[in-house]
Amino acid sequence: MRVLIVEDEVRLANNIAEALRERCGFAVDCAEDGAEGAALTEYQHYDLLLLDLMLPGLDGLSIVHRVRKRKDMTPILILTARDERANVVELLNAGADDYLTKPFDLGELLARAKALIRRGKGVSHPVLTVGRISLNTVEQTVRCAGELIDLSPTEYRLFEYLIFRPRAIVSARELLEHLYDYNWEHHSNVIEAHISNLRKKLRAVGEETSIATIRGRGYRLEAPEKQL
Amino acid sequence: MRKISLTRQLIAGVLLAELLCAASFSGLALAHEMHGRRRAFDVMLRGRADSVLGAVQDAEDPEDNVAVDPTELVLPNQDAYEVLSPSGRVLGHSPASSPDLLAALGASAKPGYFSFKVKEAYYRALRLNGVRIIDRDDNGGIRRPVTVLYAAPTHDLWHEAVEAVQFYVVAGVVLLAITGLALVWFLRRRLSPLQELAAIAGRVSARSWEFVPPGDVLRTSELAPIALSIEGLLKGLRQAFERQRQLTGDAAHELKTSIAVLKSSLQLLTLSPRTAGQYEAGLAGLLTDTERMEDLATRMLALARLEEAPVESNESSDLPSILRNVAERLRPLANLKQVALEVTADATRKVALPADDAEVLCSNLIMNALQHSLPQGRVSATVQSHNGATELRVKDEGEGIPEAALPHVFDRFYRADRSRSRNSGGAGLGLSICKAIADRSNGAIRIQSALDQGTEVTVTLPEN
Repeated sequence: MRVLIVEDEVRLANNIAEALRERCGFAVDCAEDGAEGAALTEYQHYDLLLLDLMLPGLDGLSIVHRVRKRKDMTPILILTARDERANVVELLNAGADDYLTKPFDLGELLARAKALIRRGKGVSHPVLTVGRISLNTVEQTVRCAGELIDLSPTEYRLFEYLIFRPRAIVSARELLEHLYDYNWEHHSNVIEAHISNLRKKLRAVGEETSIATIRGRGYRLEAPEKQL
Repeated sequence: MRKISLTRQLIAGVLLAELLCAASFSGLALAHEMHGRRRAFDVMLRGRADSVLGAVQDAEDPEDNVAVDPTELVLPNQDAYEVLSPSGRVLGHSPASSPDLLAALGASAKPGYFSFKVKEAYYRALRLNGVRIIDRDDNGGIRRPVTVLYAAPTHDLWHEAVEAVQFYVVAGVVLLAITGLALVWFLRRRLSPLQELAAIAGRVSARSWEFVPPGDVLRTSELAPIALSIEGLLKGLRQAFERQRQLTGDAAHELKTSIAVLKSSLQLLTLSPRTAGQYEAGLAGLLTDTERMEDLATRMLALARLEEAPVESNESSDLPSILRNVAERLRPLANLKQVALEVTADATRKVALPADDAEVLCSNLIMNALQHSLPQGRVSATVQSHNGATELRVKDEGEGIPEAALPHVFDRFYRADRSRSRNSGGAGLGLSICKAIADRSNGAIRIQSALDQGTEVTVTLPEN
């Protein structure tokens, strides 16, 4: 999952980014001003937008308007130092999904971020299952019939992205865009290597669920029909 | 307190004027009528006196007297007449008249008209000296001089005059009533913009600043200035309130953001077990965050103090020496940023500023200039006398301030470019503090800037 933080207080942005990377395994980009943030949202790489309200260049509310105007459904979490009711109502009406007032609890922010991403992908429970496999987004663990599968952080992130969209074809480009931030060199063969490792680990526990490669189009998480 | 109604006063005033007008008009009409009727009455008196004179005849008695023959006279009963011989002997009188009346009639000795009163009745009378020629023949006859006194009561005269004027009086009263009612209606109607204005002004409160004077009010020359001045006043007040609210909001925003940084840094450290090195780095970051927060709190408190208390009149400080000290303290920072810091302040100049305020003023201005300077740039600070005041100028060769931002640079928490200023550590209070210091000592501060050429701040302080 990839998150964009638009926050002019650099120390705060870095703290949030660090926590999201560490605890959720998300790829995180930071923008210091509103205009830059709004430009980044146009790529639609993000699974969540975290916006400060008072920003130089373009304020958070205007970014919400822009994003929603082009029918972008990406969940938006607003960080605000102002908690006046009128402000909050205006924000939510403009299309923001949730808000947190500063100073906030980092743990709460992480939980809300994860919940918003889940909701954005049409899932309400933090544990997702395909076949005998279950993925716990809170613990960041994958189990097969209760037995833990040891995955590297990148493998976990890949699997997490795929399990949110079972049976859909996900291109290598999309995976790159949603799993890595801008500091990463983009090479699609990196994805191929991680997918292959993931397949081996799933096979090792005797799971029928597999990741198919659709030539020239991408990857697909496939499970035996009756078990889905 | 009793309220005074303009409408009522106006109506009462106009009606009173109309009443006076009607009364004096009726009075004049009555006087004119009386005058005309009196003249007619006098003519009538004369005519009747003449007919009495005509009734004087030879009395056919031995003394060859004359007498009045009443049978020839047709006169009103209440009239009285008396005919006297030159010697004063009564030759005849009206038969029905009372002795009192005849006595009063005979009291006048002068010929001509006169008035008198008998038993509550007013009379007007004429004393006429005439000559009656008796036994007229070719030789002319015998001339018999007589005096005729004739009186008639005047109460009918008064009644007739009043009756004649009555029409005018009634018409006047009716007109007065009509115009009074018309006036009430008209005034109510014409004064409605005033009531509208009052109603609209009454709706204004600290929560609702809406004040749009209606067209009626603005078209009324007496009301337009009031409406416009209320509008202007409310606009000013509203802006002041907005500024205050903005300020509180901004202060809260700054404080909450600072706390958010601190809290998130701490929570990040405790999210998972760290190595000693990570803890050290984290603690160093926390210390920086705390120092920034401390700086913010100090500046906010300094500003509050500066704006609250007026300066003690006897406090003064030597601005050039303070400027030199501050510059020396900041020189390491200037060297680090590769900026040349030049100070021109040699003479001693006392200004009406407490020493610590003067220090804050100098250091804020120089720090600002250094922060906005590019490497290899130059910052100059000078103190000089100008028109009996002391001028402190701090000039940099930095990127300058956009013209649109210039009017706001002294606003609290204002940052022309927030992201960059935030990284360089300011909370947008430095120039506000400088302005507060200048204002507190009756000085002035102004700023000139050109993009890519630099900024110059000039503080003018009264000399002590």
